[in-house]
Amino acid sequence: MREAIIEERRHWGERFIQLKLKEKEIAHCAQPGQFVMVRVQKGFDPLLGRPLAIMKVEGDSFYLFWEVVGRGTKILSSLNVENRLEVLGPLGKGFSLSPSRALIVAGGRGITPLYFLASRFEENGIPFTFFLGVKNKEELFMIDFLQDFPGAYFWSCEELIEGGFCGTVLSLFHNWLKDKVLPLGTRVYSCGPEGMLKNLYQEEKMGNIPLEVSLETFMGCGFGVCMGCAVERRNDEGYFHVCKDGPVFLAQELKW
Amino acid sequence: MVNLAVKLGKLNLKNPVILASGTCGYGREIAPYLDLNRVGAITVKGLSYYPFPGNPPPRLREVYAGVLNSIGLENKGVHRFIQEDLPFLSSFDTCLLVNIWGHTEDEFIQVAQELDKLERVDALELNVSCPNTERGREVFCSDLEMLKSIVAKVRAVTQKLLIVKLGPEVKEWEKTLDVLENEGVDILSLTNSFPALFIDVERRDFFFKRKFAGLSGPAIKPLALKMVYEVVNYTSLPVIGMGGIVSAYDALEFLLVGAKAVALGVANLLDPTLALSVVEGIEKYLQDNKIGNLENLIGKVR
Repeated sequence: MREAIIEERRHWGERFIQLKLKEKEIAHCAQPGQFVMVRVQKGFDPLLGRPLAIMKVEGDSFYLFWEVVGRGTKILSSLNVENRLEVLGPLGKGFSLSPSRALIVAGGRGITPLYFLASRFEENGIPFTFFLGVKNKEELFMIDFLQDFPGAYFWSCEELIEGGFCGTVLSLFHNWLKDKVLPLGTRVYSCGPEGMLKNLYQEEKMGNIPLEVSLETFMGCGFGVCMGCAVERRNDEGYFHVCKDGPVFLAQELKW
Repeated sequence: MVNLAVKLGKLNLKNPVILASGTCGYGREIAPYLDLNRVGAITVKGLSYYPFPGNPPPRLREVYAGVLNSIGLENKGVHRFIQEDLPFLSSFDTCLLVNIWGHTEDEFIQVAQELDKLERVDALELNVSCPNTERGREVFCSDLEMLKSIVAKVRAVTQKLLIVKLGPEVKEWEKTLDVLENEGVDILSLTNSFPALFIDVERRDFFFKRKFAGLSGPAIKPLALKMVYEVVNYTSLPVIGMGGIVSAYDALEFLLVGAKAVALGVANLLDPTLALSVVEGIEKYLQDNKIGNLENLIGKVR
């Protein structure tokens, strides 16, 4: 376990939190798609750590961004600058990092690992287009994150909003794909609700383009001992474990 | 300097802290975070003869100070363990216990035979109490005849020390303990998780596809401690106490009621270095209380 110190805290309403944490080893080793297990508090209730994707690294620090979805993430959201957190990581297998061109499709808080990925592509001169879908006005702030990638993003909102596409990110992506011929070596990267990932995988226009998805699930340990985070492999070949075999998978390896 | 070494039957442990089966994988997974040389023993995840896929998700549900699991004994099978993990584990200076199970008596025997050949394996722990699989598994530990038969058959094929892991499904404790003593069991470990239930109110259905799941974590510690206390007072077999231990004081409670060693389960999941804190905490307790030898503390509360 490593001790990380909270350097910055931002929040958007009650539900969305971003922390900047100082922990050198994690900041230096983390790869896009990897996550950390965060102990909620020193005691034993809630008992287990929470897996949170890494959003960004900066010098000796890294950023986490999450949505409050239950008791653990709620308690974590009340932490303040200078508080310390016990963190294990970086964990898991991240995204592949050398496509010739990347299309990135994020749904809501699924933006977290994909933002890190896009930053890496930007550094390495790999062309990409980022599609972000949010549900409502409350989530529109996420579009600001994408201003770090000028000219390389599109966004959608499921509520009627001026200046953006009204609908799901999949409709946005579908419309964009319509008249495109994608070069060989293109890869699609996605993270978001399970239904969104499933529909994206089944998107006809995708043809044979490889799709990498980052899965979100409850975990017991985060490092492969408890086998609690099982997901089904295709063709009834048993299970993968999201923490160790993922959280990033080739969509075609999974049962949908 | 205090002496943390304990005798667990014929097994000499450098300290009483054991990693429980199913919470440290095959050793390799936890080794990057925890120096395995520092624990008394490691118990390898329950092995069957053939690889077994385990239960469908969801497999975990956190509750207050505990977790329900329905892993369903997923494992890579004894042969892959021997090939892939045993050489790695062999390099550590710690006792190596291997948890085994089978769908049938024959499978139990086959696994035991494979492991019996291996010098590095110190003991076999029979899982006769796991509440998680469908095929008659509760029968092994709750049915005396079934239990007697499986233990006798495994005993007949291995020279290894034999640990039997018990759990709340045991119905007739005294008779069960008599049977295990008579059949040549060397050590007992208890308790396995408590069969429990969680209802998904939104879906109005059972949370787990297999309906019941095993509850572990600090929530069960007082229950486990009572169980260990009562078993220790009845049997002459040495007992490994476990159930919700997450601190040195938790471990000391089990040792004080007479467990010769303790195993950490869920603790390893939430912090893979916690076992080391427990070892160090016990050491500090002995120092602070000027007790030179841990053995002198075991069973002080009867």
